[in-house]
Amino acid sequence: MSSVAPAHVHSAEVPQPAQHGKPGGIMRRLNFGTGLIGGIGLAIIAGVVTSQFVPSGYASPVTFAPMEGEYVYLAVLLGWVIGFMAGMGAFVGPIRWMLGRESTHLDAEYMAGKDLGRSRYWKYTTDHKVVGIQYLIVTFIVFGFGGLLAMLIRTELGATWTEVFSPAFYNSIIGTHGIAMIIAMIIAVSGPLGNFIVPMMIGARDMAYPRLNALSIWLLVAAVPCLISSLFLGGIQDGWSAYQPLASQAPIGMLGYQMTIIVFAISTGIASVNLMTTILTMRAKGMSWSRTPIFVYGIFAASLMGLYAFPFYQYSQILSLSDRVFNTSFFNPLEGGSVWLYENLFWLLGHPEVYVIIIPTAAVLMEILPVFMRKPLFSFNFAVAGIVGVVALSGLVWAHHMYMTGWAPAVNYPFMLSTEMISIPVGFLVLVVIGTLWRGTSWSRLPLMAVYAVVFNKMIGGVTGIYLSDVPADQYFHGSMFVVAHFHYMLMGAGFFGAMGGIAFYFPKMTGKILDERYGSIGLWTVFVGFQLTFGSMFVAGLQGQPRRVLQFDEQFDISNWISTIGAYTIGVGTLIFLGAIIFSWRDGPMVSGNPWASKSLEWQTPTPVPLENFAVLPVVTERPYNYGVPDPYDEELRAHDGDELESAGAR
Amino acid sequence: MTMTQASQEQPESPTNRPPSMHRFKNWMRRPYARHVMIWTVVIGFLLLPLCWLLLAAMNQTGAPASEIMQDIETTVFVFTLVSIPITAFVFAVLLYSLIGWKRISSDEPPMQENPAIFTNRIGVVLWTVVTSALAMFLVVWGMIELAQITANSYGTISANEQPGGNQSVIVNVTGQQWVWTFAYPQTDGLVSDILYLPVDKPVYFNVTSKDVIHNFWAVELGVKIDANPGAVTTAGVTPNKLGTFNIRCAELCGMHHAYMETEVRVVTQEQFDSWVREMGGRRTS
Amino acid sequence: MTTTPVEASDNKPSAPAVPLSPTTGEPMTVIARRGRVGLWLIIVMSVSGTIALIISYSYLWSLNVNGGWAPPGAKLTANQTNDTIGKVKGSFAPEWPFWAILGMLILATVFMWWGYRSVKRGNQGALIAGSTLALIMTLATLVAQWIQVTNFPFGPANGAYASAVLLLCASNIFNLLLLLFILTGIMNRARKGLISRAVSYQAQAASYWMVWVVIAFLLGCLVTTFMVESPNVDPAIFGGFKEQ
Repeated sequence: MSSVAPAHVHSAEVPQPAQHGKPGGIMRRLNFGTGLIGGIGLAIIAGVVTSQFVPSGYASPVTFAPMEGEYVYLAVLLGWVIGFMAGMGAFVGPIRWMLGRESTHLDAEYMAGKDLGRSRYWKYTTDHKVVGIQYLIVTFIVFGFGGLLAMLIRTELGATWTEVFSPAFYNSIIGTHGIAMIIAMIIAVSGPLGNFIVPMMIGARDMAYPRLNALSIWLLVAAVPCLISSLFLGGIQDGWSAYQPLASQAPIGMLGYQMTIIVFAISTGIASVNLMTTILTMRAKGMSWSRTPIFVYGIFAASLMGLYAFPFYQYSQILSLSDRVFNTSFFNPLEGGSVWLYENLFWLLGHPEVYVIIIPTAAVLMEILPVFMRKPLFSFNFAVAGIVGVVALSGLVWAHHMYMTGWAPAVNYPFMLSTEMISIPVGFLVLVVIGTLWRGTSWSRLPLMAVYAVVFNKMIGGVTGIYLSDVPADQYFHGSMFVVAHFHYMLMGAGFFGAMGGIAFYFPKMTGKILDERYGSIGLWTVFVGFQLTFGSMFVAGLQGQPRRVLQFDEQFDISNWISTIGAYTIGVGTLIFLGAIIFSWRDGPMVSGNPWASKSLEWQTPTPVPLENFAVLPVVTERPYNYGVPDPYDEELRAHDGDELESAGAR
Repeated sequence: MTMTQASQEQPESPTNRPPSMHRFKNWMRRPYARHVMIWTVVIGFLLLPLCWLLLAAMNQTGAPASEIMQDIETTVFVFTLVSIPITAFVFAVLLYSLIGWKRISSDEPPMQENPAIFTNRIGVVLWTVVTSALAMFLVVWGMIELAQITANSYGTISANEQPGGNQSVIVNVTGQQWVWTFAYPQTDGLVSDILYLPVDKPVYFNVTSKDVIHNFWAVELGVKIDANPGAVTTAGVTPNKLGTFNIRCAELCGMHHAYMETEVRVVTQEQFDSWVREMGGRRTS
Repeated sequence: MTTTPVEASDNKPSAPAVPLSPTTGEPMTVIARRGRVGLWLIIVMSVSGTIALIISYSYLWSLNVNGGWAPPGAKLTANQTNDTIGKVKGSFAPEWPFWAILGMLILATVFMWWGYRSVKRGNQGALIAGSTLALIMTLATLVAQWIQVTNFPFGPANGAYASAVLLLCASNIFNLLLLLFILTGIMNRARKGLISRAVSYQAQAASYWMVWVVIAFLLGCLVTTFMVESPNVDPAIFGGFKEQ
């Protein structure tokens, strides 16, 4: 246990600036409803005004499609985003700052949702706990949207004797499924857990920039309708990677995709800045880097990678949008553009992004394990080394997605080297996990079960990645269903199951209820079985030579696809069961104590529901984390080597 | 302590016995260590058939029709083989954790006593060395293989400068939505939508696209290269088997991407020459 | 990582050594340090974005795909397109306006820095003057940038060089608009005494940020001056093959 030192909140004693009206001012009237009004209103106005200005009949010289719809849709999207954010009150803070007005303590408390009850979830609330719950809900929504599309995809692929959907619609649902799932997975752990848990885990009262908390979640909320609207306007017919010049040929739904990414990149960038500053500057007294929990390292690493890499993705979409709307020729080869430019800009994010997804889930597993194994995390330093290694190499491997593009055959060699090398730090994390499992009698609860699922899937995903990293082997596998199965094993097998484990673990802290063990487990293992069927069989289809993103294929691939589809429906059922368990437990489950898992970590030392200021007095940290377990009965020898570490940690 | 007692009962070891071997044997005395090792071996053997099963799946439409494809299959075999030990070990630990070291399923946190293993230097070093060695092996294998494949095809040298350049066939492949077109510049303007190739002769492909990105994938020949608009990419292969094989498009290129397939027919030299004559072309080089 | 020591339990802060934040009660030095860390992180984000633009410019310059790098010689309006592939020596943008605009921005930055250094020495009036001058200069820079863009001898549809330059200028304009907002805020807050000798971190942040914006503009100037004619004079023909 860490001891606490006396500290008082000074705010009431600090000289306050003039209070303009009631605390919060205009923010009292602004909420999701006014956001919708502002967004829809400005969207309509922008659309109408633009359609007046665009000369009718104006056609694009590239696709010869009429451009009026393009300009109007772009105006509508911009109007929606700006109007929604204005209606939520996002501009109030900056404008007040610009005019030289200061916020008072009462204003800040109002903005943090003090005494507002349930309605604070519908407002521009700065409290990190509220934002964490909001991220959780948005994750469910986006994931559900992507999952529904996945069911449609597998229906099409399973019905091998007919075309259920038209080729254009099929292309659009695979693209939309891809980006929806990518977004859902990026925010799945960093969003809810990064926001809700990390400040408490480091012993802080809130994040470094509370207003940016609210900004990042509401920007994300603003981006979601852009994505959904694109499906109704022709969709993302180019795969989630949206390669040019195909993206310029696609219907106007592509603008929805581009706008989603541009806004999402801002949201993620802001969240990264917030998280990183919080972790760097607001750790509790005595929490040196060797006493910082590994989850904090994981979130920091993911934020860092997102910070430097997301702008490339954002700019690739800005340039794509410019090509479509303004007829520039970044990617139009007829007029000097290069398709390889797009691919490079895209994959410069595209690869670090998978680590943005994987590292937090791996880190949350490493939080879960010591609690449920009642022994320390195996080799904390090695885990940190693994995370640091992944971050260091993550920016150096992107062109392994471009082995087959012919852009620079000579660089295939160094990228093959860097890609193989990045498997080493990832392997460090696997060792830490199995080292923590080693010789431990486990307390088998739902969060721990997720760990087993994740490690199993991660091994399969990792090994199949080895084939893909080899250039000659990639000559067979690139663009086939083998790649699809590989990344689903990594992002879904490790990412999604890890997210399930993390949410099950922190559910009592976030909601005050415990996730129903029985139905949660049924859901988890149903998804697991369905997952192996779906994607194991998809590996076979890839080995047989089925290309990806095709809705019709030779008969030899039929059996693999039938099995995959059955597996997919199983996943669907399992996810619904798990979701049902979450909803049922949240609404009707019994309240639990503040620390049902008997964890020694700081965030579990708060009562549930967590008070607004998290800690009545800020804690002081005096011990290493993960101080569980008893001295090893076998081992004089080991202690002779590592005794110094044990002693400094204060173990008996 | 049990260990010191055990060593006192043993006959005195020779002084030149390596201490690490001694420690390893002592470690293997622990029941769980033996069990995990055994399970690793068992799971490893269970995974072993994968090496052949993967190749069987790859050969379903047809056996390899070129050395490149044979190299690829050898690579898949070797990589699977090399990955099995670590995979088996991890799976063995997972399984043993559930069954061997046991579980408690109570509602309250159990206060059982698990050994506080903060780290284990030998484990960490061993793991790092083994995984790094494996990774290096895979890299070196891959680089050598890539160099070999490149030497058998264009690489960065154009066809005219390759040794034996005029003993080879040159095909200009154009992808467009949603057909493949093959032109033979060595003949007099011959253009075809089915690829004919003579057996045992190097073929050099120049590939481009007229609209969006496609990917030229001759499946059993092991050739894959993007067809980019505004650029010419190259690939090469020497088919060594007669037969009819698949060409698919492996990059989403629009509505009928799924249908952008054609065939490659590898025929004897005489059949190839007579086909060229039939199609109205005449070899000019 | 350190925080300043927490004050003893029930003293009223009679004359606090460091002013405290009204919203959270923490010392302003703590808030300032957080702000600095955040500033560096935002600069990293902006660096990535600028590098993306510079990469786009450079890569397209080096490839000269289909000979389409250079704009055509004639002056076209923005929504006409170019049917002639640019084998003709195109009309690139004149180089001196880029450097002139950079000079104006440097001047604005100097004003802001002067204001910030002065307020650290206690001269509040100089901060007000400096930030106001910086604001006016930034506005002038924005106007100059706009004039440059509207007078380019090409439009967005005139090839890769045109596209890249226009996007660099668009990024510049965005940065300048953001600067207008920031400098207005600094000016207002300086006038109200919210930025002062004791609490000057926001002026410091604005100054550092302006230096980064100057660097971003400089990168644009460098590529548009030294990387104009493409070195690739024999690019592939679109959709066809060269004679072997």
